[in-house]
This record gives sequence, structure tokens and C-alpha cells, in this order.
Amino acid sequence: MFDQYLIRSDSLQNDYENGKAVGFQFAVRIADYRGCFLSLHNGYYITCDGTEYPREQQTFEINGKAPRSFEELKACVWEHWNYDDEGILHVKKEGGLAPGKHTIGLQQSILAQYGYMPWDEEWVKNPPVPGSGAGSGKTANICTFELTLQEGGC
Amino acid sequence: MGIKRGVSLYSYQQAQFFGQMTWKDMIKEVHDHLHTDGIEIIDEAVIRDYPFPSEEFIYDWNNYMARYDMQAVTMDIYLDVHQFRDHVMNHREAAERLKNDIKLAARLGFQNVRPLCLVPIDVIERALDTAEKYDVRIGKEIHAPLPIVPGKRVQPTVGMAAHMDFAMAEQIMELKDRTGSSHVGLVPDFGIFQHSPSQVSIDYCKRHAEIPESIDFILENSRDYELGEMCRLLDEKYPGHGLDVNTVERMNLHEMSADPEDITTIIPYIVSIHGKFYNMTEIPGRPGCYEDKAIDYETPIRYLRENGFDGYIDSEFEGQRDQQDRGLEYLVDEVEQVRRHHEMLSRLCKEA
Repeated sequence: MFDQYLIRSDSLQNDYENGKAVGFQFAVRIADYRGCFLSLHNGYYITCDGTEYPREQQTFEINGKAPRSFEELKACVWEHWNYDDEGILHVKKEGGLAPGKHTIGLQQSILAQYGYMPWDEEWVKNPPVPGSGAGSGKTANICTFELTLQEGGC
Repeated sequence: MGIKRGVSLYSYQQAQFFGQMTWKDMIKEVHDHLHTDGIEIIDEAVIRDYPFPSEEFIYDWNNYMARYDMQAVTMDIYLDVHQFRDHVMNHREAAERLKNDIKLAARLGFQNVRPLCLVPIDVIERALDTAEKYDVRIGKEIHAPLPIVPGKRVQPTVGMAAHMDFAMAEQIMELKDRTGSSHVGLVPDFGIFQHSPSQVSIDYCKRHAEIPESIDFILENSRDYELGEMCRLLDEKYPGHGLDVNTVERMNLHEMSADPEDITTIIPYIVSIHGKFYNMTEIPGRPGCYEDKAIDYETPIRYLRENGFDGYIDSEFEGQRDQQDRGLEYLVDEVEQVRRHHEMLSRLCKEA
């Protein structure tokens, strides 16, 4: 659900550190009809122009706090991602993205469930790697977005 | 008395997503345009900072509901067993979440909470004292592909149906009878009376299928093959079709998961009803009258009416998610869909 609207179309920017581009960012929404405990958020399958950027290169900014890794988010068992709110996904990429259009592929992984399932113990030991479809919630497709890099960023 | 009408604000999830309607706008729409008072919510969609809303939110909610003289019917609650990530939540912990949700529902004035059909029965029983104390009824959902009572139905071994307990409703009735509690019951969802895939779902699946003819094949042959057989057949006939089992299960739907007459056996146990629907279209030759072609509303409502059901049916529009894969011009108007649904509910609930 919300396939075409999971990334805000004018949100793609580069991330900078000490004046140097170190990655890119865009604004995402939850692919569900409800918010979730932040601990359930398990990262993204992300491609940009055909290159995959694994979860270890991603950090997530939400609730007015500095970007956190998905390992850190696992411990946020009482903090909630409200349904109405945008999060900012930061992706490490040396030099950032070149100006112009980029093709982003995205599948969100949130381990929200409606009760007990046969794979529960396995998911504690080995959480699904985003992209396989497991843990992809209400939008199992890998959604594709054509986005133009915005000026600015920080 | 008669059957009462309400709306689950779930129906307006897309308008909320795009910031076009707040929960206040939704409640006002129900009051001003549907001329009724029943309100149902998804806790994690409406309650800001769930499960720790501010005092201001709670007062604001209760005040707004009072301003328009609305009735908080049912709060839909969840069970995410992976919340703690270092272990699977055990049943005692699951009961703690349920108890906390009951207390929250009471503070927001709700009569009922709706746990999902996969919540184990002992979790419900552990929270029963809290439900009594706070005077909030626990209504467990009968959601497709569950039947009301199993009868001769054989539980499938693949797909969503494999994970559900077909005797779920009977377990709740047994619990209520055994404890004598007036605070446990059932929330049947009209999705159990869906007899065919909705056109909006078919269109979505075709747009995304590698081989769109594979969808036609399922639709044409669904009566002849169970889900497992259909999956095998698709692999044979359409190698590389790429359809996941959920899609095949949706398209293979060819009969209601529950028999409409069975609803008479659970009427004393119903706390409220979900009026699930996907696509309200005008009935040919009857201007201004609407129906959902995929769901039988007429027969179950007749049974409810004839047997004196006087609780709420809360609209639960779910057709929007199959129409969000294209441009803004293809998005469905949820407000209009719910208005049409209430035209139908008003008409069917009144019919003699």
C-alpha cells in the first residue's frame, strides 16, 4: 500500500559532513495503516541507480532525534513511530549523488505482526534481510521512484 | 432500537496519510454527513504517541467526542510479538499489552477493544479481570478466512488460513459461558461474507503480474482447485509467473469463509461488527443505491435484523490500498465510498 507515496518526491538530497558529501537522504512514510514501535523497524532494501545499499549503511532519523542505526533502533522498544510522521532515511555513499535524476528501489521492513507465527523464534535469531519480502508488511513490492536530487542538504 | 451505524476511522487512512483529514475532520464527517454517532479507531493510527498519549490528547479526544455527542464504540488493538526483539513476547507479556490497551480504551471512552483473531485464547482470559474492572468488553475478531463455526469446512494447510484456528469463535463462546463474563465476545468482520475478489484487487494484481493471463487463469478456475493445487498448476502453466502465495490466495477466493446463517448463533456474543468493503458501485437500475459486488451484505444483515441485533456495524473501507500504485488522479475518494456504504447500510438495516 501507498506504493508510489512511500518516498516524498521532493525529498532526495545529499548528506554533508565538513562540507563533503558523504551520502544521501530522503523522507519515508510507514507502509501500513498504523504506526509501530520503533524496535520493529528493521531497515530497508535500497537500490540507487542499480547499486544496492545494505542496512548497515543506513540510519534512520525520527522523533526529533539524531539519525540512529537499525541496531540502535532494536533497543527502542517503547518509542513509537507515529503513523502521521515522516522519517528521514540516510544512506552512506562517499561523494553523495550527482545532480539530476536518480532511480531508487525501496522495500521497507517492519516486523509488525497480528500475533504468533511459525517463524517467530527464527526472526529473533536471524531477522529477515530487507528485500526478500519477509517482514515487508503491507507493501511486499520493491517500489521504484524516479527522483531529482534537490539543492541544499546539510 | 435496531442496528446502529458507525465508521472505523481506518476507512480514511489515505486522507490521513496525505494530511487531508485529521481525526477531528473524520468525526465531523460522520456526524454531519452520515448522521450517525458510532466511531471506531485503530489505536496506533489515531492515538498520538501510543501507548503513552499526553493528558492533552486524551482530554481533547473526549472533549471533541462530547461536543458532537459521538459514541466511542470499539478501539482496534494489536499484538506485535517482536516488540522486544531479544525474545518472542510470551503470553503473559501479550496479556500485559492487552490490559494496557483496555485501560487506554477506557480513558478514551470506548465500550470495546478488538484484539485480532490470532491472539491466543489464554491471553484474552488473563485480561478478563481488567476488562471487568474498566468496563471495556474484549471482542475478538472473526476475520476472513475464518468461518463463524467450522461445520464441515476443512482448514487449509497453506496460506493465511493455515495459521488461524477455525474453532476460534467457539473458544470465545466457551470462555464467556464458562466464566459468565459479560466482558468478552466477538467482532465479526463482513470480509467473511466476501465471495469473490474485488475488481480493484483484480486490477491491482494484473498491473503487477509478470504474466497478467495467470490472474485470469486463477479467476476462471478458482472453483476447481484449492490453493495448494492452484499454486502447483500455475508453476506448470505459467513458469516465471512470480505470484506470491498471498496474491494467489486473494485471487483464488470463490466462496465466503462463513455461512451467513451462522451469524444467528453468535448474536448474543457480538460486541460490534466490522463492515469491511472494497468498492461501492451503483446498483444498475437503482440510482443512488450502492453495493459492494464482492461481499454479501444483504443476507447477514437480514439475519441480524430478524434476530434483534442492536449493536453497531462500523464501516471499514479497505479498497484504497489497491489503488495507490499510480498517480494521484487514480486515488479513490474514501469519503464518497463511506457515504455510499452508509446509504447501503441505512437501506438494508431498515428493510422489512
